Amino acid sequence: MASEAYITLTDVVFSRSGRRIFDGVTLDIPRGKITAIMGPSGTGKTTLLRLIGGQLKPDSGTIMVAGENVPRLRRKALYTLREKMGMLFQSGALFTDLSAFENVAFPLRVHTSLPEDMIRDIVLMKLEAVGLRGARDLMPSELSGGMTRRVALARSIALDPELIMYDEPFAGQDPIAMGVLVKLIRDLNSSMGLTSVLVSHDVPESLSICHYACIIADGHIIGEGTPAELRQHPSERVQQFLQGQPDGPVPFNYPAPDAGSDWGLTGGAR
Amino acid sequence: MMDRIAALGRLGFNVVATVGRAGYFLGGALAGVPKPAVGFPLLVRQLYSVGVLSLAIVVVSGLFIGMVLGLQGYTILSDYGSEAAVGQMIALTLVRELGPVVTALLFAGRAGSALTAEIGLMKATEQLSSMEMMGVDPLRRVIAPRLWAGFIAMPILAVIFSVVGIWGGMLVSVDWLGVFEGAFWGNMQSSVSFVDDVLNGVVKTVVFGFVCTWIAVFQGYDCVPTSAGISSATTKTVVYSSLAVLGLDFVLTAVMFGDF
Repeated sequence: MASEAYITLTDVVFSRSGRRIFDGVTLDIPRGKITAIMGPSGTGKTTLLRLIGGQLKPDSGTIMVAGENVPRLRRKALYTLREKMGMLFQSGALFTDLSAFENVAFPLRVHTSLPEDMIRDIVLMKLEAVGLRGARDLMPSELSGGMTRRVALARSIALDPELIMYDEPFAGQDPIAMGVLVKLIRDLNSSMGLTSVLVSHDVPESLSICHYACIIADGHIIGEGTPAELRQHPSERVQQFLQGQPDGPVPFNYPAPDAGSDWGLTGGAR
Repeated sequence: MMDRIAALGRLGFNVVATVGRAGYFLGGALAGVPKPAVGFPLLVRQLYSVGVLSLAIVVVSGLFIGMVLGLQGYTILSDYGSEAAVGQMIALTLVRELGPVVTALLFAGRAGSALTAEIGLMKATEQLSSMEMMGVDPLRRVIAPRLWAGFIAMPILAVIFSVVGIWGGMLVSVDWLGVFEGAFWGNMQSSVSFVDDVLNGVVKTVVFGFVCTWIAVFQGYDCVPTSAGISSATTKTVVYSSLAVLGLDFVLTAVMFGDF
């Protein structure tokens, strides 16, 4: 990877409810690029974003973001660092009691002392960037799923962050909304020079816009590289995921006892 | 047998862990004092939501409870020819006990459950997480104004409850049953002590308000972010608040009015 790393994870181990989610994950996320983190459902992709954002602490290992070791940061320093981060949640996570305009204005009102007319201009610019300037007065309950995510995207870039993290931005979107989101993520990255981390299991869309990608499974990174390198990756598991094959090294069936014993065919326990 | 002991131990650990989390949560919510320009509008909004919107149920309940007290009191006291004392009976009952306790129970049912459900839903829809990721502490932005609002609103609601209750009792005993109005108010004035009765009642409401709101916001914040989790947390808020109010009422009454 030629670019300098903006985020560096080193030997990150994280367990929850007795289950090891990450078992020594090491990863560099380059500055100013789009990095896709992919993997089957339940492998901890969203958890990885929460570790980077400091919402969770790893059992061991270091997570460096913009030169700061996130798990070691004190509360105030962590909240200051988060002002450089934006995060697009899977659900959008808009504040339901605020209009689209007020949602986007929220971080500006909290973190800046800008006059009201300037806040208005910035909010309208951000809403214009996601094509929703005309929807400023709508409440979240009046927005479609795709519009909700676009307003949330406008809110997450309101403070012009250095880093933006997208949690499953394409999940449940129709093809048009998905196309709009793909274009927005690409345009925002190139126009604002953001470091973007995209968590998704939508392979074609993710590989179409990312500069670098990695695939997580069973607590490890099983493959990483540019989209072209990943497509040629020798690992069967990587190829099974990229090509969406139902069975392979990642089994289709959840581990279960012997079928004969479950149906009482072998005289085993019922 | 060993399994039961182990289960009891686990339960003990869980209770201690929950109390610890609740204490840590309370410290986090009360630690940061937001700037007045930011915090005051948030507080006023929550005072409206928690206090003003609870007024209807408090006023109606206070009125009927006062009327029932007037009716019962008159019936009992008239057997002894002491119906003139009905005013002091109503006032002491309301100011010392029913005002604080019933208001707290109503508060837990109306405002407490609403607080839990609202915060639980904010958690389930990732609004609290998104706030954290924007560099805004939800404990200070969401929890603290609600906690202070409950703490402030509950004593005021209890005072309104008692005042309306006394007025309801007067309606029945004076206007309907014919107790002499001068005796009604005069006996009340001579027997109700501002410090021993009214202030002690207010102290109770402050304690109940604090406990009920703390339970409500903690249950919402700590709930499992699913529909079943929010439902369970809302139920726990009402049950735990009610039990806490009744238990604390006994302790506070023993301390304030017990003649040991």
